[in-house]
Amino acid sequence: MSRYLITKLITLILLLFLVSITVFSVLFVLPGDPAQIILGINATPETLENLRSELGLNQPFMAQYLDWIGNLLSGEGNRSINYDIPVSELIISRLKVTGPLALLAMCFAILISIPLGIYAAQHQNRPTDVLVMFFTQIGLATPDFWLGMLLIMLMAVKLGLFSAGGFPGWEAGFWSSIKALLLPAFALGMIRASVLTRLTRSSMLEVLNEDYVKTARAKGVHERGVVYGHALRNAMVPIITIMGLQLGQLVAGAIIIENVFYLPGLGRLVFQAIGQRDLPVVRDIVLFMAAAIVIINILVDMSYVYFDPRIRHE
Amino acid sequence: MKKLLFGFLIGLLLIQNHPAGASAPQKGGNLIVCQPAEPPGLDPTANTAAAIDRVVYSNIYEGLVKVDRDGKYIPGLATMWDLSAEGKVYTFNLRKGVRFHNGESFNSQVAKWNIERAKGEGTVNPHPEYFRGIDKIETPDEQTLILTLKDVDALFITHMAEGDAVMLPMNGYETAKSNPVGTGPFKFTKWVPGDRVEMVRNDAYWNPHLPYLDKVTFKFIGDPSAQLAALKAGDIDVIGYIAAPESAMELSKDKRFKVYAGTTTGEVIMSTNNKAKPFDNKLVRQAMAHAIDRKMVIDLVMFGYGTSIGSHWSPSTPYYKDLTGKFPYNPDKAKHLLAEAGYADGFEATIKLPAIYSYSKRAGIVIADLLKDVGIKLNIEIVEWGQWIERIFKKKEYQLTMIGHVEAWDIGIYANPNYYFQYDSQEFRDAYAMALKAPNESEKAKWFGICQEIIAEDAVNGFLFSAPSLAVMKQRVVNWWENYPTIALDCTEVWLKN
Repeated sequence: MSRYLITKLITLILLLFLVSITVFSVLFVLPGDPAQIILGINATPETLENLRSELGLNQPFMAQYLDWIGNLLSGEGNRSINYDIPVSELIISRLKVTGPLALLAMCFAILISIPLGIYAAQHQNRPTDVLVMFFTQIGLATPDFWLGMLLIMLMAVKLGLFSAGGFPGWEAGFWSSIKALLLPAFALGMIRASVLTRLTRSSMLEVLNEDYVKTARAKGVHERGVVYGHALRNAMVPIITIMGLQLGQLVAGAIIIENVFYLPGLGRLVFQAIGQRDLPVVRDIVLFMAAAIVIINILVDMSYVYFDPRIRHE
Repeated sequence: MKKLLFGFLIGLLLIQNHPAGASAPQKGGNLIVCQPAEPPGLDPTANTAAAIDRVVYSNIYEGLVKVDRDGKYIPGLATMWDLSAEGKVYTFNLRKGVRFHNGESFNSQVAKWNIERAKGEGTVNPHPEYFRGIDKIETPDEQTLILTLKDVDALFITHMAEGDAVMLPMNGYETAKSNPVGTGPFKFTKWVPGDRVEMVRNDAYWNPHLPYLDKVTFKFIGDPSAQLAALKAGDIDVIGYIAAPESAMELSKDKRFKVYAGTTTGEVIMSTNNKAKPFDNKLVRQAMAHAIDRKMVIDLVMFGYGTSIGSHWSPSTPYYKDLTGKFPYNPDKAKHLLAEAGYADGFEATIKLPAIYSYSKRAGIVIADLLKDVGIKLNIEIVEWGQWIERIFKKKEYQLTMIGHVEAWDIGIYANPNYYFQYDSQEFRDAYAMALKAPNESEKAKWFGICQEIIAEDAVNGFLFSAPSLAVMKQRVVNWWENYPTIALDCTEVWLKN
């Protein structure tokens, strides 16, 4: 296990190194002079030049790259050009929105999909199964932001039960913050639940036909024990894999839903930073997202051992 | 001098008696204003982004001179100013007892330091040229600032009233981007990046009657449908300017809200590369001017909101000359001119539209359709903003594009042959120089009028419309600005009815 972890850690570091070079080069050659974008189209050449040297944009490629990486490694960190605060501070404050949003969305997805998928598998090809599959089909075809807009129209504008978006901040109270995340998380969760329901169903169908399930039934384990105790645990490996992918996706890319609900999340930050050429922010966030996705995948890998003890990481 | 004093008196009247008149303003309340774009920093002296001025100008920061809702220059931190007979020496009387939000006093030394900072070497003020004309700064006492210009500058007071010229404190200016400290009616309290900027009433404001509100929050909601939902759900009180004109139309039918469709300083133009073939031919440009039906453009792009223009000058700016009749919509005349220019069969060209502005993309499509009628086939290319800056604005790799120029008094860009229009006219440069040196109002009006005429006649760009200011608010919001003669969402005199 420890050897496994060490290999994964080395992979992570190598990967981050590659990502850092890629993101830096891409942003370096990206058209659009940051100084000009910041100062606007009527700025004088002299001011542009002064700002460029202040931002270090006159330095050669390698010097700029080393400066960036050096700041990260020394723990000093980089500063956002626009907000003039450390990027780490920005990322942490945005994660306080995006993290809970992603987790809440996954909770919705799991709570809906696992029972529904199991139910559909148990009632294969019966009308209720067909109905469940029909709804998941609709779910797959619905964009999450559209569902979000419908929810706003119904719950906020018509019924006035929720605000139409925004995030009060955790210091304004736990429940009011959770309330602000409920609608977007539900919109994100519903769509992901569709995928997971279908996956749970097919995975369960496969497992329910295995010999050990028949054995369990034969030795008199009641049906609930068979399904939840034996079958589900074995069916979880592919489900967990997809969940891991979905979680990574939610951390990195809930941009549209964050825009619809105007939540100050990570996706919106990086989107805005690209438009305004706040390069330190873009670079650091891309690196952070890459790291987050790799770490989520390592955790997923490690969880396989729990669900299927035959798997060993050596 | 007389005129300046008169303006000063009017300003004084406006500050003390409110134009809203009918009912006495009520104090207190928390106003939540939505604006689409989050400002890139909060220092208007380091960045020209309109989003910054809309949050901080006259709310947190003030300059010597302010712009009021009619576009007049009124006393800000200077109670009055006097101009010498030959038009080069400005004497400002500074307001007594003004303090910055951090307790520092404002006086002539602070003003001098601010001006020197803006014009000095290594400046990151986007417009150092506003200050470079100042030859000598004298501060005979704490309340007097004497600025001697190298030459007459007709736009000097105009520039002193812009966001680039607001006064920062000598201690604490370093953090102006993230923690602005000014002299304005509201004190900055908090910026939640990606979400909102909060400010509270400045109890020590130099005008004891103002402001009325206890707190103002600027919330940044970019998505047009999210803005509307937030307004309807009661989360926000005002949308400072609506990104999508169709929303204004919908909201104007809703009794809970009122819509203001005023004017701005911005002009939306089809920028034309005057050195690219075939647009280097004046006849071609004039033909295009005849081929564009501005009313149709405004109806289709802005749902009828907006005012036609015939030159690079907004109707809300003084010395405006109505030149919309110069090239009336006349496709036959356009074809005739094209034939005269040697393009009887028309030609093909590319228009590059910046992706971030929906008005620009819509206008591009309408104009492509209109130009097709006279035989000009436009290919539409959508470009990302950074690319627009790089390829079109800096490298001038374009034939046509579409953009709003939001700054007032920016006709001087036509005097620069290296500007992205690549318009090179000695006649214009001479006229503009005359305008800048105009010693009095009638001369200013005359020469700025001639400037407008020259570029209209040369059809330098496709002059389309002045962008409307579309604000929507709850009925209880009183005294919001109807027109925006400067780039600001000034909440000083806004109040809430209970």
